[in-house]
Amino acid sequence: MAENEFLEEEAFRQHCAEFIKHSEEIGDGWEWRNSKDCSDGYMSKTHFKIKNGTSVTEHVFPQAEADFEFYSDDSEVLRPTVVSEVIRYEYHILYSCSYQVPVLYFRASFLDGRPLTLEEIWDGVHQFYKGRLLQEPWSTITQQEHPILGQPFFVLHPCKTSEFMTFLLKDSEKDFRNMNYITSWLSIVGPVVGLNLPLSYAKAMSQHDIKPD
Amino acid sequence: MAEPERPPMSLPGGPAGGEGATELGPDTNTLEPAPSAAVSPGTEEPTGDAKKKIDVLLKAVGDTPIMKTKKWAVERTRTIQGLIDFIKKFLKLVASEQLFIYVNQSFAPSPDQEVGTLYECFGSDGKLVLHYCKSQAWG
Repeated sequence: MAENEFLEEEAFRQHCAEFIKHSEEIGDGWEWRNSKDCSDGYMSKTHFKIKNGTSVTEHVFPQAEADFEFYSDDSEVLRPTVVSEVIRYEYHILYSCSYQVPVLYFRASFLDGRPLTLEEIWDGVHQFYKGRLLQEPWSTITQQEHPILGQPFFVLHPCKTSEFMTFLLKDSEKDFRNMNYITSWLSIVGPVVGLNLPLSYAKAMSQHDIKPD
Repeated sequence: MAEPERPPMSLPGGPAGGEGATELGPDTNTLEPAPSAAVSPGTEEPTGDAKKKIDVLLKAVGDTPIMKTKKWAVERTRTIQGLIDFIKKFLKLVASEQLFIYVNQSFAPSPDQEVGTLYECFGSDGKLVLHYCKSQAWG
């Protein structure tokens, strides 16, 4: 096995396709988008969260005032004023030719269009990750122009990706042929920026295993 | 990158059958008791019928220190976060060091995921194998 495992671009697309297939099965919202000239593509997901951390999809978010009449004194319940506290998160996964790994781009904004700062995004991150992340934030997340859309996005720096993905594969019977790189990688880096993967991805991808355990 | 030295994988005092960590006697486990009652070397109650605890086998990845005791009986409701905290204390890692746990050698479950659920999905031969790694994922 090579010192560091790298993901080739074609393999990246294949793994994305597999990943999206499962996403469609469970309604997780990931989709593939092509650049205007179709030479490049990336995975994209948009979801909405209430500022206190409860995640909702666009479909279940109550639109009518009448929905609120039913609730009386439950402090957990959505109130009409909560509309201003809904945050729209966008996650894009692109392939980096220079690092030969996937890269996570993300941004968030309120419904009125105001973008969230990095600190505000981290408010929504699980406590589990906050301690480490807050120690060295600027060495891990930068703001860059999205390579395809040309808009500012936050980027989780990919310099360590190959290293920890290699650790994952070391001493393991798995290689890129019978695991899904995107699933594994995203399960590790996603939660740091508020993106969590349901366990069903792990089960679905493990069905591609060719070796019995 | 040098491969870390690994001691033989034989379980201390383990039985030939599949009863798991329950058979570990106090004399074979010379380490101090687990800080959390939910994770124990399995001397307390049988995991066979009651199934309140599941057998977890912890394997180190990369240059992460290897735990002397690898097999543990863990309560089903213990979360991944709780297990990580336990391993970090056991390995005497500082609080700021990140530790990752992987299931099925390929997926990092969320910290709120319960060990019992993971066992149902990925357990085999009466145990759940979890890999843990101290590698820095970002920065």
